[in-house]
Amino acid sequence: MSKFLNRLFNVDQRFVYLFVAIGTALPLLFPLNLPISVTKPVKDVYDFIQKLEPGDSILLSYDYGPSTAPENDPMADAVLRHCFERKIKVVVIALYPLGGVTLAEQSLNRVAKEYPALKYGVDYVNLGYKDGVIAVMKAMGEDIHKVFPQDLGKKPISELPMMANIHNYSDLKLVVSLPTGIIGEYWAALINSQYGIPIALGSTAVSAPKYYAFLKSGQIIGLLGGVKSASEYEKLLIEGYPATKPAYEKVGTYNAMKGMDVQSVVHIIIIAFIVLGNLAYFTSRAAQKKGDLP
Amino acid sequence: MNDLIGTWIAAFLTLCILSFLYKDNPFFRFAESLFAGVSLGYYIGLTMGNTMVPNLIDPLKQSFSEHWQLLFPMAIGLLLYARYIKKVSWLSKYALAAYIGYGSGYQLLMKLHGEALPQLKSSIVSLNHFDLALANDLVMLIGVLSVLVYFFFSKRDEAATLSTKVFNRVSLLGTWFLMVSFGAAFGYTVMGRISLLMGRLNFLINDWILKSFA
Repeated sequence: MSKFLNRLFNVDQRFVYLFVAIGTALPLLFPLNLPISVTKPVKDVYDFIQKLEPGDSILLSYDYGPSTAPENDPMADAVLRHCFERKIKVVVIALYPLGGVTLAEQSLNRVAKEYPALKYGVDYVNLGYKDGVIAVMKAMGEDIHKVFPQDLGKKPISELPMMANIHNYSDLKLVVSLPTGIIGEYWAALINSQYGIPIALGSTAVSAPKYYAFLKSGQIIGLLGGVKSASEYEKLLIEGYPATKPAYEKVGTYNAMKGMDVQSVVHIIIIAFIVLGNLAYFTSRAAQKKGDLP
Repeated sequence: MNDLIGTWIAAFLTLCILSFLYKDNPFFRFAESLFAGVSLGYYIGLTMGNTMVPNLIDPLKQSFSEHWQLLFPMAIGLLLYARYIKKVSWLSKYALAAYIGYGSGYQLLMKLHGEALPQLKSSIVSLNHFDLALANDLVMLIGVLSVLVYFFFSKRDEAATLSTKVFNRVSLLGTWFLMVSFGAAFGYTVMGRISLLMGRLNFLINDWILKSFA
């Protein structure tokens, strides 16, 4: 046993990568459908959207890029599906420069295809990307039409029926930002404080811990942190709106619930390596004290 | 067909990047440099198409007399590039001063009004209820105070007075709170990194291998 642990102590780290890769690939091919428990910060976001009236408008800001898409994409899709099921109008923007606008377009196309009765310009709009983050957020509090004179397709937004009644934050019921990095802080600390509009964040797992402080202080109404929270939102959505289930059961598509199978398997592998690594460390130390090892 | 070619290029570049896990190699360096260059080009194109054209060039073209004031922010922006001409490089400082002034003003407002005060308020414990929420609030309060003690105060450790002992204990408690928060942050980071790997492997398996070969 001690020889095995000693060998493990010196194992090539590429074996660890190999185990993690296998642990990631297998659940993607053969989903385990492990149970998912819903946490309060996620339920709060779901309940808030659930309480909005059909015809109300929200702002959905794609503040992330391709580097965190596996975490944020499922959140974006789930929130969009929820809004479309509830007939809530969605204003889409992107404030993250590297790919936010493309991901917003892809996500909107992907989900809007499932709701052919909904019309662009009437039920949802995509205003595209604008550079300047804080300056854009602040200017939107005055007049969205001035900040985004055209939508993504270069059509003047004054010609979009839905935008006739939306001019600033007071015409919106909620801002949902899906931030990577610091953009979520700007929404919570600047826009919520200044304009009082409720903010919900769907952040990457790496950023989630810092946003709990904003959740505790009531500056955001709820928090989706990483793929775990995205899977919780998907679960709530499927339970509340069974019509959305086929979208999550398509073969060959990725969603957060499948992602949690991967997370569970890979975490077990990582924990196993940590335990074995510590055992190997303490065993070798004990052997060194006895004089069995140099 | 275009999608297929794009998928194959993306798959090749993904494999180039992942090859670094085996060891550093020219394929990885090629993909890394390509990514840096493409990102910069994309950013410039995006800013031109989505910000400069609709917010500056189009309005000036449509009605110069109505939007002439846009020339001021344009001039401030252009001044930034003066730093590349030695004789007039000092002009870029004015543009930088405007940026820094604007940024500092906003950061000051945000940090004080948007972060420090609301979060200070949420740390104040109401004692008019005795339940689990109060216990949670108390843990938060003790955590905030002990971490503040650890970070902001120091005490000479010579005399083993009661106050020194209490101070050291509180400071030690602060480090424990910090370790717990670092642990939570690290756990989230591991989850985030696995998600990224998952995204790439999902692309390789479902979008590339299965769609191209199955």
